[in-house]
Amino acid sequence: MQETLFLKHRESENIKDYPFSALKKALAMEPAGVVAEIKKSGLKGRGGAGFPTGVKWELALQEEADQKYVICNGDEGEPGTFKDRYLLEGTPFKVLEGIIIAAYACGAEQGYIYIRGEYDGPIRIFKKVLESAREKGIIGPNVMGSGFSFDLYLVKGAGAYVCGDETSLINSIEGKRGKSRIKPPYPITKGLFDRPTIVNNVETLAAAAEIINQGAERYLSLGTEDSRGTKLVCLSGDVCNPGVYEVEFGQVTLQEIIYDLGKGIKNNRPLKFVVPGGISTQVLTEQEIDIPYTYEDIAEAGSGLGSGAVVVVADGHDLVDLMLNVSRFFMDETCGTCFPCREGNRQVYHMLKKVNGNLNEEKSRIIADIGKTIHLAARCGLGQTSLNFINSVLKKFENELIVRGDS
Amino acid sequence: MIKLTIDGINLEVEAGKTILEAASAAHIKIPTLCYEEGLTIYGGCRLCVVEVEGERLLQPACATEAKEGMVVKTNTPQVREVRKTLFELIVASHDISCQLNCLTCSKNGNCELREAAEIIGISEMRLLPIDKGYGEDWSSYSIVREPNKCITCGRCIRKCEETQGIGIFTMANRGPATIVTTYGDKGMGNVECTNCGQCILSCPTGALHEVYHYEKVWEVLNDPKKHVVVQTAPAVRVAISEPFGGDPGTIATGQLVSALRRLGFDRVFDTNFTADLTIVEEGTELIKRITKGGALPLLTSCSPGWIKFIEHFYPELLDNVSTCKSPQQMFGALAKSYYAEKNEISREDLVVVSVMPCTAKKFEAQRPEMAGDVDYVLTTRELAQMIKTAGIDMEKLEEGEYDQLMGTSSGAADIFGATGGVMEAALRTAYELITGQELGMLDFKEVRGLTGIKEAEIEIGDLKVKAAVAHGLGNVRHLMERIKAGEEFHFIELMACPGGCLGGGGQPSPTNQHVREKRMKGLYNIDSLKELRKSHQNPYITKVYEEYLGEPGSHKAHQLLHTEYTARGV
Repeated sequence: MQETLFLKHRESENIKDYPFSALKKALAMEPAGVVAEIKKSGLKGRGGAGFPTGVKWELALQEEADQKYVICNGDEGEPGTFKDRYLLEGTPFKVLEGIIIAAYACGAEQGYIYIRGEYDGPIRIFKKVLESAREKGIIGPNVMGSGFSFDLYLVKGAGAYVCGDETSLINSIEGKRGKSRIKPPYPITKGLFDRPTIVNNVETLAAAAEIINQGAERYLSLGTEDSRGTKLVCLSGDVCNPGVYEVEFGQVTLQEIIYDLGKGIKNNRPLKFVVPGGISTQVLTEQEIDIPYTYEDIAEAGSGLGSGAVVVVADGHDLVDLMLNVSRFFMDETCGTCFPCREGNRQVYHMLKKVNGNLNEEKSRIIADIGKTIHLAARCGLGQTSLNFINSVLKKFENELIVRGDS
Repeated sequence: MIKLTIDGINLEVEAGKTILEAASAAHIKIPTLCYEEGLTIYGGCRLCVVEVEGERLLQPACATEAKEGMVVKTNTPQVREVRKTLFELIVASHDISCQLNCLTCSKNGNCELREAAEIIGISEMRLLPIDKGYGEDWSSYSIVREPNKCITCGRCIRKCEETQGIGIFTMANRGPATIVTTYGDKGMGNVECTNCGQCILSCPTGALHEVYHYEKVWEVLNDPKKHVVVQTAPAVRVAISEPFGGDPGTIATGQLVSALRRLGFDRVFDTNFTADLTIVEEGTELIKRITKGGALPLLTSCSPGWIKFIEHFYPELLDNVSTCKSPQQMFGALAKSYYAEKNEISREDLVVVSVMPCTAKKFEAQRPEMAGDVDYVLTTRELAQMIKTAGIDMEKLEEGEYDQLMGTSSGAADIFGATGGVMEAALRTAYELITGQELGMLDFKEVRGLTGIKEAEIEIGDLKVKAAVAHGLGNVRHLMERIKAGEEFHFIELMACPGGCLGGGGQPSPTNQHVREKRMKGLYNIDSLKELRKSHQNPYITKVYEEYLGEPGSHKAHQLLHTEYTARGV
């Protein structure tokens, strides 16, 4: 079992050594041509929602406005996710290239890269990247002599998970409270400062640069029909070899990622469950993980590929404790705007905290009801998915949890 | 037009309308809490979620535009179930305790949470209430905040910011710690709050209410040593029957007087009387400023919310504000001098209570410039409470008459309660005082109605008076900016609340556009039915000048009826 290396590579720290070949190629094309190439590649957004990137760019290109913006979302907050950090630290020039290509393709002359505030290293690195790129004429007026002007600003996040949501992130850049906006209007038509805006994840933009570099055909030869190309998987938890792995969609199973790439469970303990896409996705049990690693297969199994965070949980942990931990996270991180998410996560946390070995059917049903309400009625993706972990644990380990209550 | 189906009903609505608006047109009631007509959509409470065919998740009716061919279901098992759970969550966060504090709540009669519970059909509460443990904010003379009851729907924030153009409130913190507060958590009394009370009208719960004076009023009414007189503002008479089930705009002047007498007030007077007096004083001031020079435009000074607004935001224009006290304070000053002397009542034993549609009047009454002339200010709501407590059947009361000398008023005084009314009253008087001729047509229609800013040019003899009227502080701010930009006017009427006093922050809930229109109609009806319709022709005004004040603008009038302002800044 090997990684498929499309994105992962070593980059020199010196901008002089980076060829910017994708950018050169893109600048020689018409913007519509760049969009067409990305659309053809079938690339989907890697932030978690999986929206087709080419479609997003096409819509943005069609928008007419005095100013458009491109935003690189580096507010990587989903627990268990660290691939954007890996890219920002290891291949910042490729990320930069992706941002400029996106801007060129959509006609945006200004851009922002929003990096999670705790990411000291990436922020430091990207600051330098911006300086050197400006010096070298990679950004600024007349990008690489192409006549296209583009400037990029770095914004440091202030620690709110919700700002990973694109509309909340836009509010945050505008200096407003980090809370989601009501959609429509979508950022594509009315985003940052009410102008058409595309927001793309770090990995998406890096992949876009590499697609332009190597061609959509190459990308199309990788993966499955619904999951094109490769994905950076953040493997963590009770595995022997945690880390960022690049896998080709459909070529490996979730099980293989854990047992081959990750070298299995620590101390050879049995597996309890896997969180296949970050803690806002449903857990999968040992019986459910012998499935190809693709968007469609994981969805079929009742969960989501999300951001690519695969968290492995071995047997032996206190399930209520784990749920309490996740619950605490969501309670703290809900923005507080919509009632189901704010009050639902608060109630669930307080209920779990008081469980004390007495998780009965009634409590479990109330949590399920709250979960359903949040899922169906919350205002943004954060809320809608905030109880996925807890409810799936409750459902899949119900006997164990309720038995534990009776004893 | 857009065609859609809601609950099987085929509908046609204008493009751009939301599902909520479409449903309302089809007479389908969808529960809401954070939605308020006229404010931006917040989409926070999610009580209005409905099923839309083809959508995986439920959609908020308030924030979802009706689309061609849409099939909406507002009453499905899923919607009902989600609403119930949501409601349980909301109530658990709302400081309902085993102390039954619903019963002691300011909104016990018209709580929107209770209404929502009724619509949703709540049968069980499975969640434990969460004690948020916040303190109350008593820093303001006018308004109290009880954050434990706040459900953070943000209506007060939006009302203050969008309608009133001020924005003293904000959301602070994150997640369940999210709280509505003032800048730096300083409290409403320590920020640029104008005390207008519009936030109280917006609050669906009892998290905001006026600083109550009614307990104090009961106290003085029960004290045999005290001689307690009461004055009633124009806008109260067309709203007081609402808490008793009456239609908004019902003219209940006579019942109001009777009820006050039954409550035990020694004299029942009318703020309208001093409204007439205001017109005579302010009219004189206007004529003087136009003919002899002085800061123009002259800005009215009746609305204490507006006064606090200009003191904070446009202190450089304070010279333009009429020095006339408001009718409430003119009444207080006259009661504690003229009335007290005439009836040989000592100042200590005389208590002046006013009934106002206003929360800012509570602040005004305690301003040091006002020397404690008015002791207690009751809102229309507080008075309704007292009438209920006393077991008085408001609807069945015989009509009473105001006491004299300060009980007679012109129709011009009644319309003080509506936006444009002060302007119209002033024009009626100014015309006759300047030209010496009788005004034929008394109605100045161009300054009536609920348009935010109204302008008129009125020919008075050789003079073309450029007048403007603004109500709602958002509109007021626009007009002030125009003045600062150099636009010229002679006379401007400004009212803090949308609709003028009839839409005041002390009026019964609900106060919305529909209700404002009806109350306005009531006030103009009173005016049109009166014989006496011009302030300067009020015989008792003539009498009070003859007996006590001398002439309009006299030294004594200035001592008693005029005041000064404080540049507060921001």
